[in-house]
Amino acid sequence: MKTAIRRQMTISTDVMDLLNDQIALEMHASASYLAMASWCDQRELVNSKAFFYKQSEEERGHAMKIFEFVNDAGGASISPAVPFVGNDFAGLREIYEMSLDQEIRVTQAIYKCFKKARSVDDFASEVFLQWFVTEQVEEEDTVRSILDTFDLMGDMPLKMIDERLPKE
Amino acid sequence: MEILSDITFNIQLKKITFCNYQLKIDQKVMALTFPQVLQLRNKVTLLTSEENLEDIIQNENYVLLFIADKKHLVFLEIPILLDLKDELSYCFDNF
Repeated sequence: MKTAIRRQMTISTDVMDLLNDQIALEMHASASYLAMASWCDQRELVNSKAFFYKQSEEERGHAMKIFEFVNDAGGASISPAVPFVGNDFAGLREIYEMSLDQEIRVTQAIYKCFKKARSVDDFASEVFLQWFVTEQVEEEDTVRSILDTFDLMGDMPLKMIDERLPKE
Repeated sequence: MEILSDITFNIQLKKITFCNYQLKIDQKVMALTFPQVLQLRNKVTLLTSEENLEDIIQNENYVLLFIADKKHLVFLEIPILLDLKDELSYCFDNF
């Protein structure tokens, strides 16, 4: 029976469960970025809205990448329920800080999957997850750079700060 | 392993052909494909989480579970549900 299961699946079921949790987390991040984009869009913060719309798409892209991988490896991807996301923010800086915290949570969850894949000798998942490890370094760095801009610009009006943020 | 081949368990998941499996719960025998086995594993894992188990125990104290793309409906009391979880874990615990 055990050999039979291995013939159907390339990845470990423990890793599959964590990857399904990761899909849910990425989709939640996508929904959360969409709320942030909407807040910026309503206030005509054009660079920030473009940034968060793009982030939302990217997070969904990450979820889909994992989704397809799990199915391709013989497992079962689970379409997640997206829990409530906050739509109420105190300001642009707070949004970017929340965004950084969210990226850190995603990174930690990726590390958890990676560690599990390594501990059960699931090499296929480990190699697949390497891309995400690198991607998360980039994601965190982007948001940190934006927060640096906020520090540099001090108490300047929101619109002016937004204009100096990286254009997408 | 050979000694066990003559013993009949209340819950048993067996491979029949490459992609076909047979699940026996008491007297009920059900044919399952591999995706259906995975689906069952997911359902049972969810139902047997600490939070859900507590909820079941405090309410109905049993679950009704659709198996094999809703082809079968089974009535499971908590001990049977936990046995099913063990049987599924045993089958998948080999990577």
